[in-house]
Amino acid sequence: MSDDKVFVCRCQEVTVEDVKEAIKDGATTVAGVKIRTHAGMGLCQGRGCGKIIARMLSEVESPEKITPGSSRPPARVAKISEFLEVK
Amino acid sequence: MNNKNINDTDVIVIGGGVIGTSIAYNLSKRGKKVTLFEKYDHAKGASGSSDQLVLMQSKKPGVHLALALESLKMYKKLEEELGEPIHFRQKGGMILIENEKEMEIMKGFVEKQKKTGLDVDIITLEEINKLQPGISQDIIGATYSPMDGEVDPIALNIAFARGAKANGTKIVLGTEVKKIITEGKKAVGVETSKGKFYAPTIINAAGVWAPLLFEKLGIEAPIKPRRGQICITDEVDYFIDMPILSAKYMMAKHNPDLLKDAPELIAKLGIGLALSQSPKGNIMFGATREFVGYDKNVTYEGIGEVIRNAVTYFPQLKDMSIIRTMGGLRPFTPDGLPLIGWTEIEGLFIAAGHEGDGIALAPVTGKVVADIIIDGETFVDMSGFDPNRFSK
Repeated sequence: MSDDKVFVCRCQEVTVEDVKEAIKDGATTVAGVKIRTHAGMGLCQGRGCGKIIARMLSEVESPEKITPGSSRPPARVAKISEFLEVK
Repeated sequence: MNNKNINDTDVIVIGGGVIGTSIAYNLSKRGKKVTLFEKYDHAKGASGSSDQLVLMQSKKPGVHLALALESLKMYKKLEEELGEPIHFRQKGGMILIENEKEMEIMKGFVEKQKKTGLDVDIITLEEINKLQPGISQDIIGATYSPMDGEVDPIALNIAFARGAKANGTKIVLGTEVKKIITEGKKAVGVETSKGKFYAPTIINAAGVWAPLLFEKLGIEAPIKPRRGQICITDEVDYFIDMPILSAKYMMAKHNPDLLKDAPELIAKLGIGLALSQSPKGNIMFGATREFVGYDKNVTYEGIGEVIRNAVTYFPQLKDMSIIRTMGGLRPFTPDGLPLIGWTEIEGLFIAAGHEGDGIALAPVTGKVVADIIIDGETFVDMSGFDPNRFSK
């Protein structure tokens, strides 16, 4: 069976095929795949798919050139009311 | 070797954001051979860290708003033309007013905007509640325009790039333009991280980085990065019907002096509300306006204030969760207008400095730039955007 329909990013339901298309479209970084497919934009912010995408990119780009996606706060999903409690 | 010419390029575009790709798309649509160089990838600068608004109400009354209204017309046909979903939708927009002083300022804006052809009015709290439930009942009114819209800016950027490519544009990603090559008072090519390339016309569409390329040539382009910080919530049921802004957003954008009576941190960070919901359900809200050089990181102080500010307008945000924050740099200019036109160096053009209006103005910018380069003129008065206006 082909892997093309397997989900790489579960949060945004992005498949192996979608990632391959993004790479064909010119993506050479995890962020490049993200803007073309939305992989990594969901609840877990690429914690799962980031590594898989980097591995897929290593087939077209030398690994030292593949930059990881940028990390931004919050470190985990945080309720807005929690931000209001701290000054 | 034969690096004097790559496939007979007519125009080299520097920058792969919404402005650069829109220009490449429009020039190639009209038969020009274009090569576009982008240091990293599309949507890597302001295009990828913006909100999703195509606002008419936030534009400066006059030539700026007139240009935005032309862009809006183009937006309505753009998805069909590009053949890719860009999620453009037009459901109107509101700017919330908190006190009488803000009401005076917004009345002045509305009056001038109407003269430029914008459909906009002041509405009461009751009318606000009918249009958008959930807003704080301390608000005394709002401006409302049915003409404001929204789009997916990253999808727009990618769609312009694909459209340009389909028209024969060569898009070279991961390639930095280090220098513009001149011969006497004439621009003839660019020196990149992958060698030298030549063309008779060079367009600088590098956004906040545009002035750095010009510095070396002694041309002044007074574009300064102005940071914005934004929060993004988890996907929630659809309930925000249209973009919601605050009057303080307009002040922070057009005249920060007006914020001097606002709470200290609001004034210091230039905070104004801009809130909307994406088609997937994430609510995005911002933003700060800060001059901190090229630092696009988010700060604890900035995000904290953006959240506190948003909750005062939308109390129920408290129960939602943030999955990500983001920081980006808007290309600010001293008069709030972009630089679009020929520079004093022959063959060298600039289209940059759109500040927070780059998404709204991208379609029309691409079209007018293609017109000016091919026909020498265009259908709107562009004299107000003359890039040489600051040195005159």
